[in-house]
Formats: sequence, structure tokens, C-alpha cells
Amino acid sequence: MTLLMIHSISPLLIVAFGIVLSLLLIAWRRSQKLILAFTLTIFVCAMLASISLMMNLTDAMQVTILMKVDNYGNFAFILILAASLAVGLLSTAWLTHSVEVHDEFFILLQLVVLGAGILVMSDHFASLFLGFELLSIALVGMVGYSRDSQYSVESSFKYLILSATASSFMLLGIAFIYSQSGSLSFATDLLSSNEVSPVISLFHHAGVLLFLIGVAFKLSLAPFHFWTPDVYQGAPTSVTLLLATVSKVAMFVVLMKFWFSQPSLFIQPIVSNGNTLSTFNFMSIFAILSMLVGNTLALKQQNIKRLLAYSSIAHMGYLLIVLMVLSPQSVVLAWQSALFYLSAYVLATVSLFMVLQLTQNNSCNTELNVDDWQGLFWQKRSLAMLVIVAVLSLAGIPLTMGFIGKFYLLNVAFYAQQWWLIAALIIGSGIALVYYLGIIFALFNTSSIDQHNGNYRPLKLKPLVNASVVTLVAFGVALGLYPELLSQIFINF
Amino acid sequence: MSAIPLSHILILASILFSIGFVGVISRKNTLFILMSLEVMLNAVGVAFIGAGSAWHQADGQVMFILILTLAAAEVAVGLALLIQMQRRFKSLDIDLLSKLKG
Repeated sequence: MTLLMIHSISPLLIVAFGIVLSLLLIAWRRSQKLILAFTLTIFVCAMLASISLMMNLTDAMQVTILMKVDNYGNFAFILILAASLAVGLLSTAWLTHSVEVHDEFFILLQLVVLGAGILVMSDHFASLFLGFELLSIALVGMVGYSRDSQYSVESSFKYLILSATASSFMLLGIAFIYSQSGSLSFATDLLSSNEVSPVISLFHHAGVLLFLIGVAFKLSLAPFHFWTPDVYQGAPTSVTLLLATVSKVAMFVVLMKFWFSQPSLFIQPIVSNGNTLSTFNFMSIFAILSMLVGNTLALKQQNIKRLLAYSSIAHMGYLLIVLMVLSPQSVVLAWQSALFYLSAYVLATVSLFMVLQLTQNNSCNTELNVDDWQGLFWQKRSLAMLVIVAVLSLAGIPLTMGFIGKFYLLNVAFYAQQWWLIAALIIGSGIALVYYLGIIFALFNTSSIDQHNGNYRPLKLKPLVNASVVTLVAFGVALGLYPELLSQIFINF
Repeated sequence: MSAIPLSHILILASILFSIGFVGVISRKNTLFILMSLEVMLNAVGVAFIGAGSAWHQADGQVMFILILTLAAAEVAVGLALLIQMQRRFKSLDIDLLSKLKG
């Protein structure tokens, strides 16, 4: 282990060390303000370390056989840290409601971030497994964190059973792959060699499929999406934000790393023996199903969290398009598209959940429906602007980040000549407009203001909160108008 | 001693895994669901150890130890939730956990 290697995993080391220090800090003094400040400091430090690493790192760097640090993973980790900063800030608003000191929450949050960080840098099934479990077990604890709430047991039990099932599927897949290839690294590509016997390739294919099913569970892709809305609704809002951003980004990045390290999976050779095509086709089926099912089921949702759950299913479906590349040359474009789309998705989701949490605090109602946002524009302009920018970006209206992200995806799909995926993307976006615009119409609706006045205290935001709302709006608008600001970063990777 | 072929071990692991999976989806009692999850994880452990010994590597056994650790952590969280459930509903029937719909 050279100094350079230690430097390249410094962001992870900072978070890991931060967890130990936080435990000591709790032993010394239990104070929620202290632990919050400490957690946020750690995230900021790790983010600074990743940014400095991103500037210095020119080439992908193998750190032992377990990890491979490259700028794509680094950027994803920065996104993850940014989202968790937002989670930390939002959760304070919610945790002050009860008298206890909630220091465990922040330890769990740091564990989730560490797991996600290991995932995005892993290059080996063992580190993938460790990161995956750190992420999901800590998340189970967070989903059921508010013990008094009506749904906490139900949603955390559902999440526990489904994520445990998903990880067993994934592990069985890994065991099958390992039994045929004899190596746990991502990079071993068994199928590219010609002398594989049919039995070997059968088990290997079964392994890859089981692995992908496990990942699909976590990404809530269409046939495996049933847990998503229930868990999203039952979890505390800031934890839902964590589920929607951090765990999705980390799982998707690790899926891409696995996928692109095995050229035989995605490049459709003309001489192929049908089997290779099947993995490729499975992923397109997952993608098309997710886009259609997610968007269609979102149509009849009134609860905002459930609506966002279904829309996240659809967004993960759109993102799967980047896996459909036909040649190693387009892998770079695929990474750029994925990172841009993920940034747009994370920014929009953080914005929406921020508004959700703030309005929730105000109305003391944990089950917010779209109707509860009626007339928000006339009550609090800045929050309404934030919702509008975020929703338009999710819907992919021109001049927003989401549009550029979808454009990238279309580009990838055109290169790969996946006409079915393009059709599904367009149809899905069309359906999505109905419920996204429904939210925007609700914001401007004046009819219900009078009857709401009774239980709505006027929304008063602290200056700091107001400043962050304005910053998010500015980010959304600026990156929508000048996407080069972001895409310039990727070009140098 | 004649060696057992690797494919037999993998088939055994798949059968065990399916038994566990059927248990997870068909059992009503949450305690038994957690136990079925253990069966699934241990089936994977069998596959890993078989594969590791076929390749004469320690990797399979290392993965098995990691899986054991995971199983312990998962059961710890699961049992905590189980106690919560027993306290609140005075029952471990999984069908009680179906309030979230829509």
C-alpha cells in the first residue's frame, strides 16, 4: 500500500475514521447539535478530499484488488456526499420533534455513506458485498427509526426482508460466477474466450442473471419494484430522500462498473451464441417495463412520497439505457450520460424532498398529498419556485437539466440502435407529464386557499433555510441553462 | 477418494436456496421468514465453499465468513423489529403488516 493509494481512498478513510470518532464523541457528550455539526464536517471534509482527488487523478488507479478509484466513481461519491449533507440538514428539522438525543441516526447516516462510497469504488465482489450490506442494513435501521410512527415497523420489515432476499440472490449469482471463473474480480471475462463448455456457460449465465436480479431489487426496477412505494411512504422523509438518492446512485454506479468490465455482456457479437444476447435483452426488458409501469402507476397517486417512488422507478428505467452500448468506444459517452442524468435526478429529488419536509413541519401532517401543496405559490414563492424547477427537470422540459440528461440518453440509445427503448422513453415521458404538470397546477390553484387557512400557519423559513432554497433554485436554473458547466467536468475524466 | 463434481454442489446449493426462498414467500410467521432467509444465505455459503475448494483458493471461505457476519447482523436487526412487532400487535403474523397500500 503506497502513499498514493492511501491518498486515492482518502475520502473513504475520512468517513470511516469519522464514524469511530463520532462513537467516541457520543461517549464523551450526548448532544444532538454537536453530533450533527461533526457529521456535516466529516461529509464536507470527505467532499473536499474527493474534489482534490478528482483534480489530481488522471487515470484509473487500482487500490489493492478490492478497489479501483477512478473519476467516475469519485464524481458519484461527491454526489452521494452532497445528497447526504442535505439529508443531515433536513433530518434536524424532523428530529427536534421528540425529546430524545438522536445520535444513532447520524452514525447510521455515516455508515450508509461509507457503504455507498465502498460500492462506487469497488472492483471486486467482496468489496461490493461489504458496501452493499453496510448500505442496506444501516438503511433498515433508518427506515424504522421513528418508532412511534404508524408505519415504521411495517416499512422497515418490508425493506429488511426484501433487501435480504435481494442480497441472497446477488450472492448466489456471485457464487455461480466465481465457481466458473475462479476469480472474484469484476474484470474476469470468461465468456470472451472461446473454449467454454455449455455447462460452464449455463452456470455463468445463471450467475450473471441472479446478480442482475439482486441489483434490480435494490434499484427497484419494474418486476421487482413492489416494495418501493410502501417503504418510501412509511420511512421518515429525510430517510426517503436517502433511499431515493444515495442508494440508487451507488447501486447504479456499481452496476455500470460491473457491466462495462465484462465486454461480452454488452457488446453484441454477430457470432454470438444467443446466450450473450439474452442478458442484453433482459436489461432492455427491465428498462422498458420500469419506464411504463412506473409512469402508469404514478398517475393515480395522491400521496407525494408514493408518487415520487413510482417516478423514481421510471427514472431508473430511463437510466438503464446507458447500459446498452455496442462498442467499447461508446462506454465513455455512457458514463458521461449516466453521471449527468444522475446529477439532474439527485438535484431535483433533493429539491422536492426539501420542500416536502418543510411543508410537512409546517402542517404537522406526515402524509402529504398533492392537494396539500395547493396554493403554495401564493404562500411562499421561493418554495414553489423550487418545486417548479425540480418537477420540470424530472419531466424533462427543455431548458432544464433533466432535458439535457434525457438528450444524452437518447444519444446513447441512437448509437446503440435500440428503437424500442427510445419509443418507451418517449411514451413514458409523455405519461409522466400528466402527473408532473398536476403538481405544478396544484401549486397555482387558488380555490382552496381559504379553506386551508385554518390549519396552515403561514410558512416562515429561517434565513439559513431560505438561503439554501434559493441556492438550490439557482443551481437548477443555472445548470439547466448552461449544462456545459457540468459536462465540461466529465470531458476531462 | 473420488471428488464430487462442482456442478453437484452448485445444484445442491440451488435446491437449498429454493427451499429457503419458498419459505420466505409462503410463511406467515415473521420468525420463520427470518429463519428461511438464513437458509438462503447458508445455501449461498455452500456454493461458495464448494467453488473455493474446486479452485483451491481461500476466497470462497473468506466470502463465507463475510456471509456469516452479514447473517448475524441481519438477524440482529430482524429480531429487534420482531420485538417491536410483538409489542405493538401482540402477534407475529406477517399479514398484519399490510396497512400501506395505494
